[in-house]
Parts: sequence; structure tokens; C-alpha cells
Amino acid sequence: MFNKILIANRGEIAVRVIRACRDLGIKTVAVYSKADRESLHVKLADEAICIGEAPSSESYLNIPAIISAAEIADVEAIHPGYGFLSENPHFAEICESCQIKFIGPRPESVRLMGDKVMARTTMEKAGVPTTPGSKGVVEDQEQALKIAKKFGYPVIIKAKAGGGGKGMKIAHNDGKLVNAFLTAQAEAEAAFGDREVYIEKYIREPRHIEIQIMADAHGNVVHLGERDCSIQRRHQKLLEESPSTSVDSKLRKKMGEIAIKVAKAVKYENVGTVEFLLDSDGNFYFMEMNTRLQVEHPVTELITGIDLVKEQIRIAAGHKLRVKQDQIQFNGAAIECRINAEDSENNFMPSPGRIDTLLIPGGPHVRVDTHIYSGYTVPPFYDSMIAKVIVHGRDRNEAIAIMQRALREMTVGPIKTTIPLLEKILNRPRFRQGKVTTTFIDTMLTPPAPTGAEKETV
Amino acid sequence: MNPKELKEMLALMAEYGLTELEIEKNGFKIRLKKGGSGNVMIQREEMSEAHLVRPTERTEPKSSGPGSAKEEEGVTIIRSPMVGTFYAAPAPDQEAYVVKGKTISSGDVLCIIEAMKLMNEIKSEISGRVVQILVENGQPVEFDQPLFKIQKT
Repeated sequence: MFNKILIANRGEIAVRVIRACRDLGIKTVAVYSKADRESLHVKLADEAICIGEAPSSESYLNIPAIISAAEIADVEAIHPGYGFLSENPHFAEICESCQIKFIGPRPESVRLMGDKVMARTTMEKAGVPTTPGSKGVVEDQEQALKIAKKFGYPVIIKAKAGGGGKGMKIAHNDGKLVNAFLTAQAEAEAAFGDREVYIEKYIREPRHIEIQIMADAHGNVVHLGERDCSIQRRHQKLLEESPSTSVDSKLRKKMGEIAIKVAKAVKYENVGTVEFLLDSDGNFYFMEMNTRLQVEHPVTELITGIDLVKEQIRIAAGHKLRVKQDQIQFNGAAIECRINAEDSENNFMPSPGRIDTLLIPGGPHVRVDTHIYSGYTVPPFYDSMIAKVIVHGRDRNEAIAIMQRALREMTVGPIKTTIPLLEKILNRPRFRQGKVTTTFIDTMLTPPAPTGAEKETV
Repeated sequence: MNPKELKEMLALMAEYGLTELEIEKNGFKIRLKKGGSGNVMIQREEMSEAHLVRPTERTEPKSSGPGSAKEEEGVTIIRSPMVGTFYAAPAPDQEAYVVKGKTISSGDVLCIIEAMKLMNEIKSEISGRVVQILVENGQPVEFDQPLFKIQKT
């Protein structure tokens, strides 16, 4: 087992990893930017090293600074968390060459799955169902029009080097397609430094269902069930739950087996998530694979009782998986709400600043993963997520009731948060009935037409 | 920041017709801004100094703002621009680049910080006299860690 691990991240996930290390008796090293001097992960770690100025590019994405910190602190492994360098194959390779274990999959897997076109092609070859679409990169608008004609509108244009819901454009007809295609290329260039895009048939009203998998370095792979992440705003997840109301045990088994097939096809190691789109007919299609720990991992932890971060560390240290597929149980229902420092009642205006009043919800079946504390100042430089509230109930209805209880107790002030929006979602009949697809939030947030009474459908 | 210094700054502002003046030194920052009516508004910020949280090493002395640390006129702190290991000399068997009391010019090499097996020469941006060397040879340093106190000339 490792003696010392450096956490190349910040915020709540850095705190999460430190806690897992503590449980395992592993010493922890935090790295931080100047803006994060007072951050919780810095206070909790055994050692802390300042690595740069506030901007991520100079700190949490600064590979030389992080590797240098790892060397002077003499760590054996680096946990990259999520975001930042967690899916950077270059970083994973540098760790390897410096004899520091990257807690995650092999660089080849990260690279393969990071190229969304190559990932699709590999999956097709492995017999994994993929969304109908272009065979590879779409070079120009003529080709785009041909593809759209072949598969039928609507289509979605995605960046090859993208992911995380960024840089995607939908087109419903020839007229809109050319503009969408060119815009998508420009945005891809700006966001990922690579303008290459591909096209998929756009599945209307899909559910976003992802399967958690876990693989050791000895060829053993298991799946840990699904998470339904359909509640998204601008492709960013707000709320996740398990089980999905659209997935029964038969479908779970089918999707789980395909997810394991995906992992084996790329000789995957460590923890990962295979994302699928599920249409209204029960067909599911491979969308992408996230080769890292995900934000919503606690949902799966509460359902299965398995600590995913500890498993990551154990796998990286060379241990075999401790469970076989038939030993994994799915108990009850879990829901996670992401709390962002944004004013959901005022166009999601970012709301950084000092937290003077803080009441963290507690009581049975409530878990809060956060880095905020009373007196902490949320900096403006990073992701706006400040906490995750995760609850577990006997069934979905109980989980919803517990989440409502928890959000009602939770007090964060004077900064604004997205708690009001989450409470609205939990009250919506469609959500409570479990009839949620990825268009749910956008429909909910679109103001009703000024003329005539609109019957509320969400 | 004592009242005398404050008065001097206000006089400076008036003399040069400045509307805004910001001064940062020794872990203390003050901004003087001329309001619409001609009155000067004062904003004060205290910044605590960085310190490595390390059980095996001594913690850096914290400078906690006005009234505690002795006033050091014209002293600049040179901070580490990177994470790595501090070396005072170009090689183990050679003389240190600088010693306490040495006069240095802008562009002079003060030390080496080794990061990922690369030796980086850290050059001074100012001229002056080395008042204090704040780290030891072979000590790991973090970004922004104070290395040298230089009396500007």
C-alpha cells in the first residue's frame, strides 16, 4: 500500500480523497494555488505545497509544478480527482516516467477514450451499440449534409476532443446544419484546441444513463449499476440518482454487461464510467466513457456500500478486486444534488464571496461532501460547485423526502446558491413521477408564453 | 503602516495629483483612493505570509500586519517563482551565489531552484544588498515562498 499520496486537485474532491487516505493510514500532500491558501483541503492534508497563482493554468493544470511538488514531498502516487488533469494522458505518462503511480487507468485508455471519434470506432469494432452517426471526423459542410441526410434529422455535432457536454450543437434541418457545423468547429477549436467534429443522430428525449465500472490490473471487471443523470442544464448535471426509473434489473444486467465489454475492449484499469443514451424504446447507445472518478460517485457508494475512492487506491496499489459481480448488491435509492455558488433565481449569476452563515444538513441517511466552512471565501477562479448533498432511502419516494428535508435545513449565506432551483425540481410532478429526460430542465426554465394560459406539463 | 507614513502618502497623492495609490509591503496592503468630493478613502487588507505546513520542518515566522513586525524601509522580499529544491550554490563544491551583506545588481543569479531534475537559475529583478537569506541549502520550497530579503539601493 502507498505510504504517501499527493492529491492533484482542490475543493470537495480533494477533501474526499484525503478522507479515504486517512482511513487507509496513508499520508496526504495537498497542492494549492495562492487563492486556495485557506481552503479546507490545505488544512486537512498532512502537508501542503503552494504551486502557483490563482488561475488553473498556473496551478492545478501546471504539470511541472505538480510533479515538482510530488518529488519534493516524496510521494508514491498521485490522485488526480476529477476535471483538471484527471483525463490528461500526457500527465498520466509523465507520472509513469517519474515512477509515481497515477491513480487511474493506463495512459493509453485515457488517450483512447479522450478521442471521442476513436472511442466510437473502437466500440463499434467491439460490438458495442453506438449512436448512428459519422464513421469518423466530418471534414466539411458537404459531408455534414450527406451524413444528416443518411441518418435523418435531427443531428448533433460534437467535438472529437470534447466531452463533459461542452461544445455540442443540434441541427434540425439543412438550413440550420451548415451554421451549426461551422459554429461547432469554431467552439471546439476555442475550448479544446482541436476543431475536428463528428456527427451523431440526435436522440429525442433521451435519458442519460451511465454505468459505473471497476477493474483491477489482473483483468477482473465488475459493474456497480447505473446512475440516471438526465437532469442537466446546458449539459451540466444538477441532480443524479440511482436506480433509474427507466432501468429494471433485466436492463441493468444488459447494460452492465455491455459496460464491462467496453472496459475489457480497452483493457481498462481502475474506476470508470460508461455513458449511454437510452431512448424511449429501451434501446441504448454508447455515448462516451469517462476514465476517471466522477462527481456523482457517492450515489453509487450509497447504493452498493462500496467506497470507490478506496477501491481506486487499492487497485492502483496492485490489489485484486475484493468482490465478484454476483456479490454486488443494489440497495434502496440514492439521490445527489449539486449545490453551486450561483443565483438560480437570477440567471445563474456566479456568486462567489465569503460564507458567513452555514448550516450543513445532517441526520439519518444524509451525506454532504463539501469543502466549504463558515468564514470561508469562495474564490471566483474555479468551478462554482460548493457542495454535494447525497441521500439514501428505502425507495425513491423516501429518498426524495429526505433530500427535501436536507435542502430545507441547508443554509448558506449571504452568497447565493442553486438550492432554490433544486427544491423546485424536487417538487415537480414529472420529476416525482420519474418521467424525466434531458430536456426537462430547459423546458422547466423556459418562461411560459405571454398569451393564453399554458398548462403546466413539467 | 504608521500615521507619519500615511501622511507622507497622502501628501504624495496631493503633490502629484494622484487619484489612487496602492502600496504593498511586508504582508500589508493599503489602497488610498480619492473620492468624488476630493476626500480620500482608505482600504486596508492584511495578508498573512505563506508557510509550509510540515511536521518535520520549522514553520516560517508569520508576519501579522501593522504594529507587530519591525518596520523595514525599502526592503523587498524575493519569492520563489516555482516549486522545487533551493540550492545556494551552482554546485556542491562551489561558493554560494550570494551571502548576507552582498551587493547585487538586477539580473544577478541569486540561487538555483531544482525542479524535475532541471536546474533553474533564479535572477534578481532589483539591485540592492542582501539583508537576509530565508531558506537553507537543499530545502524544498513552494511557489511564492520568501527566499531573500533585499535592501533596495
